[in-house]
Amino acid sequence: MERPLSPFMFPVWYRFQITSALSILHRLTGIGLAVGSILLAWWLVSVAAGGELFEGTHGFLVSPIGMVLLFLWSVAFFYHLCNGIRHLAWDAGYGFELRTAARSGYAVLAITALLTVLAWLYVFFA
Amino acid sequence: MTKSAVPSDTTALRDETMLRHVRQFGSAQDGLSEWRLQRLTAIALIPLSLYFVASVLWLATSDRITAAAWLSSPVTALLVMLFVLAGLAHALVGLRSVFLDYVHTRARLVAADLFIRAAAVLLGGGSLLAILKLFLGH
Repeated sequence: MERPLSPFMFPVWYRFQITSALSILHRLTGIGLAVGSILLAWWLVSVAAGGELFEGTHGFLVSPIGMVLLFLWSVAFFYHLCNGIRHLAWDAGYGFELRTAARSGYAVLAITALLTVLAWLYVFFA
Repeated sequence: MTKSAVPSDTTALRDETMLRHVRQFGSAQDGLSEWRLQRLTAIALIPLSLYFVASVLWLATSDRITAAAWLSSPVTALLVMLFVLAGLAHALVGLRSVFLDYVHTRARLVAADLFIRAAAVLLGGGSLLAILKLFLGH
């Protein structure tokens, strides 16, 4: 049986909607965070090993490339966290109305931006 | 069955008019357990990930405590272990659902699944070993 295979809906059948855009962003940030688990494990191992390995890892993290990666992971983390809570609310049966779903989507974006800014302000100015 | 006057009757399990037998191959059997694992780990990861990120922010700005000293405390060691394990389990279910949507060849799907499982075991094993080493104070 021939059935359409994903992603067949984009870009022909779907116009842009905040809900579907955020849904895709949830997946993308999830993939990004899964890749980030490599750094998490590497960092833990380097802390345990100490010495040159830790110095090297720390040096990479505070380099421009490392900082950009950490910034992107922080955005991905805060977004996936906030939108994940939105998904859990849906699982519990709340917030399904179209207007509510759109509003909670914009709220997720706003809270993500706020938490990211606060976290980096803390790092640089605390 | 002859009587199905009200619409709600047609959805009753005993009603013959309902689609009682699944078509095609039916359910994949373990979909619900994956769904539940994804939600369970998601709920656990809310406090665990916030604890970890807040701690890392604190470590990044603190001159008085090192990451090694932080990880040698029992509460930290336990919470970071749980964070790593819940995070990897959550990532496995999530990545698998992405593969199920976008990888349409059986062999590639199995290969991708094996790859992320092996990666998760390696990353999880390495992380646990590192935390245990710091916790046990070697």
